[in-house]
Amino acid sequence: MILTRFAAESGPAVHIAPIGLFEIHGVTITNSMVFTWVCSLLIIAVLVYVARRLTLRPKGGFSQVVEIGTDFIINVLEGSLGDRDKALKYAPYFVTIFFFVALSNILGLLPGVGEAFTYHGAPVFRAFTADLNGTLATAVISMVLIQYFAVRESGPIKHLRHYFAGKLWNPLTYLIGVYEVFNELIRVFSLALRLFLNIAIGEIIISVFSYLGKFAAPLTSFPFLFLELGVALLQAYIFVMLSVTYLSLAISHGHEEDEALEHTAEQMKVETT
Amino acid sequence: MLYLAELTGNAEVIGKGIMLGAGMIGPGIGVGLIGNAFMNAVGRNPESAKFLGQIFVFVAIVELMALLVFASLFIIK
Repeated sequence: MILTRFAAESGPAVHIAPIGLFEIHGVTITNSMVFTWVCSLLIIAVLVYVARRLTLRPKGGFSQVVEIGTDFIINVLEGSLGDRDKALKYAPYFVTIFFFVALSNILGLLPGVGEAFTYHGAPVFRAFTADLNGTLATAVISMVLIQYFAVRESGPIKHLRHYFAGKLWNPLTYLIGVYEVFNELIRVFSLALRLFLNIAIGEIIISVFSYLGKFAAPLTSFPFLFLELGVALLQAYIFVMLSVTYLSLAISHGHEEDEALEHTAEQMKVETT
Repeated sequence: MLYLAELTGNAEVIGKGIMLGAGMIGPGIGVGLIGNAFMNAVGRNPESAKFLGQIFVFVAIVELMALLVFASLFIIK
């Protein structure tokens, strides 16, 4: 995004939606899709390389960063689910999604992503999380997997009773149940919109400030790059944290030790809706 | 007729200004209340300072409203 100034002759380059680059058999390939392919290959290569050279005694370097992140997410899971075995059971998915979101946020801040390279007037690369389709897909996969985990944990009937809790002859049970199911759908959109808006607006802010800076564009947009680096990690953490909270809500069935958790989640629900 | 056209031309800017100003009030109050509650909790019980990470989650939930307003600025024509 530092190189934005070369393309920003008339006003800052503000894009909310991705732009189609070319078509393959009628399917439009957008710039964020191209970036996502490159980014996914890079993330897979880096994480596989790190996993291969993991040893019992940490060597340092990037593998240590990955270890710290993994341990951090496992601690978050343990704090939410209240059980280290359960935390280790669900760790693979949540650690994966944390590193995927965090690394694609950070890679989206690299110079070269944005207006630097253009193809027929459209930027070639656009950050994956700055595209609502991408974050919506991530959120949908997250929520579907959470439902799958919950069904596997407590069986389909018991999981349905989790929504339609109470006496079955009472019509209010069905009303509240439908509301609860609707709430799950709202969670998908709130997860997706939060990630998308934070990253997309960060890009807009960087592009506005590099436009205002004219020839000093790298200087004026530099502080905002650092701000966005923090936001990138924070948003990845929040995405995982909220998913874990939804999971812990879905697999808990009114045990005594989960009362405090339920209380937090109730507050959270009020805030979201 | 000419006056009307001029009015619609300016109404976009005025509308965006009102939207940004009015829409940011709520999230501002919300984040302020969260910070207030957190500082109160830390003042009463210094051990609760460890919940700073969860505070950021709540801040992000409130912040979503402000970001929606900011994004509408570029979507509304």
